Amino acid sequence: MIRIGDVLVSKGEGNVYGERMLGGARVWDPFRSKLAALYYTGTGIELLPGMRVLYLGAANGTTVSHVADYTEVVYAVEFAPRPMQDLLEVARRRKNIVPLMADASRPELYAPLVEAVDLLYQDVAQPDQAAIAIRNCTFLRPGGQLILMLKTRSVDVRKPPAEVFRETVDALVAAGLAVQESVWLTPYHQDHAAIVCTKPDGGDS
Amino acid sequence: MRSYWFGDVVEGGCIPSDGNTEARVRRVHLLRTMMDDFVPLAWEDAVACGICRDRSEYIAFLREVCFAAAEMEIREQYAGKDVELLQMVRTLDEMDELINRISERVTEWHQVRNPSFSRKYRRTPAHVLVKNIARSNKGALGRVAVHIEEFSDARTELAKEVSNRANRVLPNSSALIGGLVAARLMSHAGGLMPLSRMPASAIQVLGARTALFAHLRTHSPSPKHGIIFQHRRVHNAPREVRGKVARALAGKLAIAARLDYFRGVPVPEFLERAQARIDLLGGSEEE
Repeated sequence: MIRIGDVLVSKGEGNVYGERMLGGARVWDPFRSKLAALYYTGTGIELLPGMRVLYLGAANGTTVSHVADYTEVVYAVEFAPRPMQDLLEVARRRKNIVPLMADASRPELYAPLVEAVDLLYQDVAQPDQAAIAIRNCTFLRPGGQLILMLKTRSVDVRKPPAEVFRETVDALVAAGLAVQESVWLTPYHQDHAAIVCTKPDGGDS
Repeated sequence: MRSYWFGDVVEGGCIPSDGNTEARVRRVHLLRTMMDDFVPLAWEDAVACGICRDRSEYIAFLREVCFAAAEMEIREQYAGKDVELLQMVRTLDEMDELINRISERVTEWHQVRNPSFSRKYRRTPAHVLVKNIARSNKGALGRVAVHIEEFSDARTELAKEVSNRANRVLPNSSALIGGLVAARLMSHAGGLMPLSRMPASAIQVLGARTALFAHLRTHSPSPKHGIIFQHRRVHNAPREVRGKVARALAGKLAIAARLDYFRGVPVPEFLERAQARIDLLGGSEEE
């Protein structure tokens, strides 16, 4: 990842959402983007120029634009029409974003469009986040990695976030994924955790 | 055989599908993919299919398909008759709040400028007061007041439009409680579809969230009505039967919302019986 001093940045055309520029690079704010927060609180996964990424819950394309700065292609899945309009605008300017308007919990609807990817990134406000991630692991190549941004409050507001977190990790492990890193995103995001997993080589999951 | 957006991949080759973007969008819509033994596509297959020459061309064509599909999907989602009405009612309600608040502030300001001014013993409606302020003040105060008047005019026009639109989008609900209130109910529910799925008991207290949760948490009495209180048959009903009227009205509204969603046309035989039932409760005290 590119850092200028302590500041995480990405290199690409600026002014996507009014982000600050620093030495010609776009500042990637951990308070706005959960993925940026992961790079500040934990290790995360090094984004590389050759990477193919499937991004679930693309929303307005804020984080997507940064990911696209680093990688070869981003398949960005978003369900709601309002943010999709913004995402399309971002994708018009960034030729390596493939916008998909679909429900991330129904991968069969966008399966004919998506190739095997190196990284699956998920940030969706749904109760069954682990199940959605597991279903989408079909697109992940063996040895590929999953970053799940767990919104514990979307899973169940009445449950303690730590319990939701444990259950999600258990579900991912049960599905055959190897958990590599898991961190809470405080102080940048409350009740949000990042879980980084690897899909085992050759094994079916 | 494995089917992807560009064609069917078969043993030892690839059969391309129809070549233009529109046809491909349609194809993706129609494809039924089984996820159990799904194998993600390889872009090289598209080259084998003769769709594209290299990776960058592949992504470019794929993007064309995805943009077209997304734009079509957005258009479809916005085509629902209730989508614009939702924005209209919410704009209306926010305008009301704005006008009230700024009128009050401007009055305060006017009062400071005119030490002898008082609203006591006078029944000046707010809009008349704003008009007076606009006439008797120079500078920014007068101009702001003029703008409030103009804003109020726009609000009146919008209210009419909302009412007319609601009569078309929610014919049965509007016939029962009037277009404006029907539209507000829909806006609180989040759309016509969610409203049509609501039980009558939820419709009855829609818009009384604070009271409802206070009731659930503590032992305060349950709210009898939310937005439907705005309808004259509820707020004009004698206090003792108000809850009863609200309940009956909500019951009929739940049916009306379903008729609006699934049929979309007024159903006279339902409306007649529903009106009679609600009038019966409002007029007399017997069940």
